[in-house]
Amino acid sequence: MISLHLIFKSMLRRKVVTSLLLVQLALTLALLSNSSLLALQTWNQLSQPTGLDLDNILYVSLKPTSKNLQEYPAFADLLERQLAAVRQMPGVAAVSFTNQSPLMEGGSNSNVNDENNRENNTQNVPQYTVSPDFLKVLQLDVLEGEIPQTIQAWDGESTVPVVLTKSLAERVFPGKSAIGQLTNGGPVAAVIEDFYGQRSAERVMYNRIQIAQIYGVAWGYGIILRVEPGQAKHIRSQIPDVLKTADANIEIFSVRTMDDQLHRMFRNEFGLATLLAVLSGLMLLVSMISSYSNAHFNALKRQQEIGIKRALGASKHSILLEMLTENWCTTVAGAGIGIVAAWLLNQALALVISIPALPVWLPLTALLMLMLCVTLATWYPARIATQVSPATATKTL
Amino acid sequence: MIQINNLSKSFRTELIETQALKNIQLHVTEGEFVALTGPSGSGKSTLLNVLGTLESFDGGDYLLDGQSVKGLSDKALSALRNEKIGFIFQGFNLIKDYSLFDNIELPLRYRGFAAAERKRRVEHALEQVGLAARRDYHPSQLSGGQQQRVAIARAIAGQPRILLADEPTGNLDSLMARQVMELLEQINRDGCTILMVTHDPDQARRAGRQVQIVDGQLSDAAMYDPLQHASPVAVA
Amino acid sequence: MEQFLYYLKVSLKSIRRAPLPYSLTILILSLGLGVFFANATFYYRLNLDPLPHKSDKLFFPFMNLVPYDCQNCEPPNVLSYSNVQKLGATDIPSAKAAMYSADGYLRLTPQQPPMPVKIRLTQPDFFRMFEVPFLHGSVWPDASARAEVILSRQTAEKLFGDTNVVGRSLTLDDFEYTVSAVLADWAMLPRLFDANNNNHLSEVEDIYLPLETGYDRNYLSNSQSSSFQDADYRKLATDGRTKAIHQLQFWVQLDTVEQQQAYRQFMANLTADEKKAGRHPSAINNKLVGMRDIVVHFNKDGGDIKAFALVTLLFLLVCLFNASHLSLNRYLSNQYEISLRRALGASRWHIQQQALADVLLMASITSVAALLIGYSGISLMNELLPANRLFSSWDWTLLLSLLAVTLGCSYLVTLYPSLRASFGALNQQLKE
Repeated sequence: MISLHLIFKSMLRRKVVTSLLLVQLALTLALLSNSSLLALQTWNQLSQPTGLDLDNILYVSLKPTSKNLQEYPAFADLLERQLAAVRQMPGVAAVSFTNQSPLMEGGSNSNVNDENNRENNTQNVPQYTVSPDFLKVLQLDVLEGEIPQTIQAWDGESTVPVVLTKSLAERVFPGKSAIGQLTNGGPVAAVIEDFYGQRSAERVMYNRIQIAQIYGVAWGYGIILRVEPGQAKHIRSQIPDVLKTADANIEIFSVRTMDDQLHRMFRNEFGLATLLAVLSGLMLLVSMISSYSNAHFNALKRQQEIGIKRALGASKHSILLEMLTENWCTTVAGAGIGIVAAWLLNQALALVISIPALPVWLPLTALLMLMLCVTLATWYPARIATQVSPATATKTL
Repeated sequence: MIQINNLSKSFRTELIETQALKNIQLHVTEGEFVALTGPSGSGKSTLLNVLGTLESFDGGDYLLDGQSVKGLSDKALSALRNEKIGFIFQGFNLIKDYSLFDNIELPLRYRGFAAAERKRRVEHALEQVGLAARRDYHPSQLSGGQQQRVAIARAIAGQPRILLADEPTGNLDSLMARQVMELLEQINRDGCTILMVTHDPDQARRAGRQVQIVDGQLSDAAMYDPLQHASPVAVA
Repeated sequence: MEQFLYYLKVSLKSIRRAPLPYSLTILILSLGLGVFFANATFYYRLNLDPLPHKSDKLFFPFMNLVPYDCQNCEPPNVLSYSNVQKLGATDIPSAKAAMYSADGYLRLTPQQPPMPVKIRLTQPDFFRMFEVPFLHGSVWPDASARAEVILSRQTAEKLFGDTNVVGRSLTLDDFEYTVSAVLADWAMLPRLFDANNNNHLSEVEDIYLPLETGYDRNYLSNSQSSSFQDADYRKLATDGRTKAIHQLQFWVQLDTVEQQQAYRQFMANLTADEKKAGRHPSAINNKLVGMRDIVVHFNKDGGDIKAFALVTLLFLLVCLFNASHLSLNRYLSNQYEISLRRALGASRWHIQQQALADVLLMASITSVAALLIGYSGISLMNELLPANRLFSSWDWTLLLSLLAVTLGCSYLVTLYPSLRASFGALNQQLKE
């Protein structure tokens, strides 16, 4: 009933207006697809497995404020008092000190290799110096070997045994048991389950742990604890006072759940994705406004034509459909260019940020979304167009 | 064919109500050529619009081809209009962006004819009005008379039972007007009922029957003396 | 003037006749410009040269002088103490300063609660090279260790409640120091002397300590310190000075091309000698990076602002297309009136002047709306990308350029439609 041929003819006649509309629709589709892609990527990153109970592990970042307390043996004593104070809090399941938190962008790290095969070197492996309860806090199972139960001091002579996460052990000692093997940092005492260490590492699940004193506190250190489910909020608000009571000469930088840590790590990606999402929303709004105004203007300009068509037997429904179809055609044509533009924008963005390649279904989904918005925006002016009285419109002076 | 009983219609604005048609009674049988005359503002065009279902009415009844149009949905009315009624306007009302072919084809599209059938009918209609060679022209490239012939072709392409013509020659010079009238008479001879609004007494006389409308009321055509009213109300 | 007011009146009338299309045009245009403003602010601020007359004369030398063998390695981002001593053992630069930053706790007396401060540990030429203004006192006479600090104005006010505190003493991390100078207000944004780890986005430090004192008192860098051999980084005074503990930045001022060439040659000779002596096992990879290139050198990523810039530019483009589309529609609806005016004797020039009044009116409404939207955009960006927070303020140069852009865009949006309206065939329009 509706002639695409006539619709194309009428689009071609309004060359300038149509091309403005097409360019804009194309850009909208390009932006919409790419920002959805980015948002999707961030969401994937935020929901990837970390091996950690994100909600029930808290990390307190702190530092002694006096030089005296920053050095051993005063510092060891401070740690003992702090751990004891936290352990006594109701709702705390386990607590440990650590030089740094899991789930960080970067931090303290070093290379790890097999002392007998130094060629196979793994760089930027996060290194944790912690008390034995660290594994209880993170609820990580020991897969092989045993966790040392005494905190070693750094005397510069004796070697301190190391605990490796499973994926790192397999990387450094492929095809054999790591237990008892010698790494550049010390003999392997145990292999534990994987957990997310640092984002800048070769693999985020590579981690090396030593049950040992914290080497230095120039960058501060951490108290990490696991709380009973539902207690995180309460303990989070209490813990600064508890620690200050143990010793007032400290500065507490932050108290965070592992979930906070995860979000902080992807803050930039999250920020950019949010900004792009806001921008995509604005673009859709702009497209809707332009579809609206275009249809509205058309309805006004073509009152007579619509009246004639009504007189010739077009029902209101078919007039509505005709106007919608016209806008759909423009949208599809614009989106056709838009898919190419989306691909080009994807290439351009890949030069400055890390963004995956555009999957085919994404621009198609964006197209559907665009169609929906355009339809909504065209509906009202198109409805008005159908109200044109054929008797009035066909009357001439 | 057309049966109108006690039909009335009024226009309302916030301040006044104007009775445009009052208690109209009109019966037109198949194959008639009726001329509808009357002074300007008498309600001729309103009546024609009501007959063409372009406007609704308030009271009375209107049976088209035995079927009452009262209470029909927009869709049913549109289909009725499309199938049974052809329109010819004083201002031609061709869509200027469309070619002649596209213009004539339009109502056939609404009718749902297949492309081949549409093409056959458009070409036949164009032949009937003698413009077959110009199917790809646009209306602006034609003279007024030619444009009206296109409009007639558009009206008859769907082979309607009734042709409603509102001052079809009002915008044409006498030569062209005569051509158009001859065309209409030919169409009438082929069996199509025609109702034509006109203010030209000569044309009115050429119709088989004259009906006069004054102040929204039909009066007996036989009592109408064209000479008495000829010049002062000759402007529609 | 009177004529202009008349034009303005006509504009207002035509707006009042169809307020919806007009407000939609304004809305779209201000959305595009507002988003563009927000991003342009960051882009402009982040790329501002803090020392435009001098930044081409300041250089950071990098070399692979480390005790490991690596043939395709990039030189480390930070230098060791002995690296700096070797790189500084020449008279070619007009000025040279090594530096790093650390955290500390400041008190007036040991009994007071501590005030966390950022410390820059550096050498006297730092203040000359980066043109740091002094309010009271003067810089240390030489680069040797001394228990003397230089305070930022804010720190002095916070600690003493006064700026004229030269000669007074304070406690920094349990040691006593004398104040040798107080700086005048100084903000170097971006602070390009420390661009590693995106530190150029931070504020300048609160307190300055001689570098040698920093090593004596074991201040470890709070930004990056890497150890390339078995060394105890808690013993900076000894291991820090002799072993491959890397944590320093080093800047040299090379005023002329000759100086720059000479320094490059000096670096080449230095690394060749070191290689001969067996202290440079890696492949030689010397780099002399200018201050203008330092951010790119350190930060391969940091593309989010750039990515967003690209996207906002596209958005502005879309909005411009859209607004001109809307305004074309508006003009087309007014075409009859314009034709009538022309028929009554208005020249094209008159019609164009009318369009100009339209432009000015649109530009003024749009700039207010766009600035509001831009401000909200900046607030949102500060919330979402807090690293760039310091780079979100407006100055006059920026504001004026933004207003110029608005005017330009308003003109573009009105130009085509008005041209089309005033050059349209008079006859045909009146006939329609």
